[in-house]
Amino acid sequence: MKLSTAVLAIAASMTTGPAFAHEEDALTASPPGDPYVQVSDVLPLPEFLPGLGTLFVDPGTLPAGPFLSYDHDGRLSATVYMTPLEDMASGTAYDGLGIGSHTVSGVDIYYNAGHPGVEKPHAHVVLYHDEDAKGRLAE
Amino acid sequence: MKPDRRQILAMGGGLCGGLLTQRALAAAPVEVIEMRGTARGERIWFAPRGLAVATDTVLRFVNRDPGNSHTATAYHPGLFDRARRIPAAASPWDSDFLLPGASFDVTLTVPGVYDFYCIPHEMAAMVGRIVVGAPDDPGWEGTAGPSKDVSQAVLAALPPVNEILLRGRIEEATR
Repeated sequence: MKLSTAVLAIAASMTTGPAFAHEEDALTASPPGDPYVQVSDVLPLPEFLPGLGTLFVDPGTLPAGPFLSYDHDGRLSATVYMTPLEDMASGTAYDGLGIGSHTVSGVDIYYNAGHPGVEKPHAHVVLYHDEDAKGRLAE
Repeated sequence: MKPDRRQILAMGGGLCGGLLTQRALAAAPVEVIEMRGTARGERIWFAPRGLAVATDTVLRFVNRDPGNSHTATAYHPGLFDRARRIPAAASPWDSDFLLPGASFDVTLTVPGVYDFYCIPHEMAAMVGRIVVGAPDDPGWEGTAGPSKDVSQAVLAALPPVNEILLRGRIEEATR
């Protein structure tokens, strides 16, 4: 865990600033390029997470994200945010977050008990970018 | 010189003894503790979360959670400077992160109570307790007491030793 945190800290120090993912064309296909890193490259997590796909994130935006979610064919399918509940209850707000695509066909919000990278219990906010995205990310 | 009947019997006995020893080693008991979670990660847990085993049992931690990684890590000052919650004479273990399908084996040889946790999920009280042997075993060391090092939620999630000894294994808590 400490190693993972250190890796993320190093990666975060290499970023040039907050990433507002509004350059849609640059993000539609995997990999999205700098400053995004593939989550499974820097954290002990599977490359493809059932329900979330292959995730990329700008380490400087942790923990909230946006996490860019790609399907097995490398197509941008969702934008995911991860917001620790304890921090929100303490007054932390996550404003002005970027988004992978301005097309949003549906939104899921659900509780997650934690995982490497965002270990505090948190909410997953998933914005799907097309009607079939949820199915493609399922497994 | 041909061996006599006694020598042949002795050789046979030695051969059988060797086979029995090998069989005994091969048959060392193995108990599996699974790391599990719901599809969206709302809940994660060790299954079982309480287990009684004989000394020298091989414990195999297996990650059966397709969407998460887990560790099985003993509470011990040698591992992330945590307060000790395993017998003083025992060696601590840390599986490191196990991706889905991966496993880790550890053999516990010292009788007593062992508490362990999952590094990224301790905050969600993903913890477990193994009882090795019985309280009247030589060298037995019982439960570690309350500590500021672990939360009340963690302590509440650890099954009582007498319940583990009575039932043998305790599966997921009802939440």
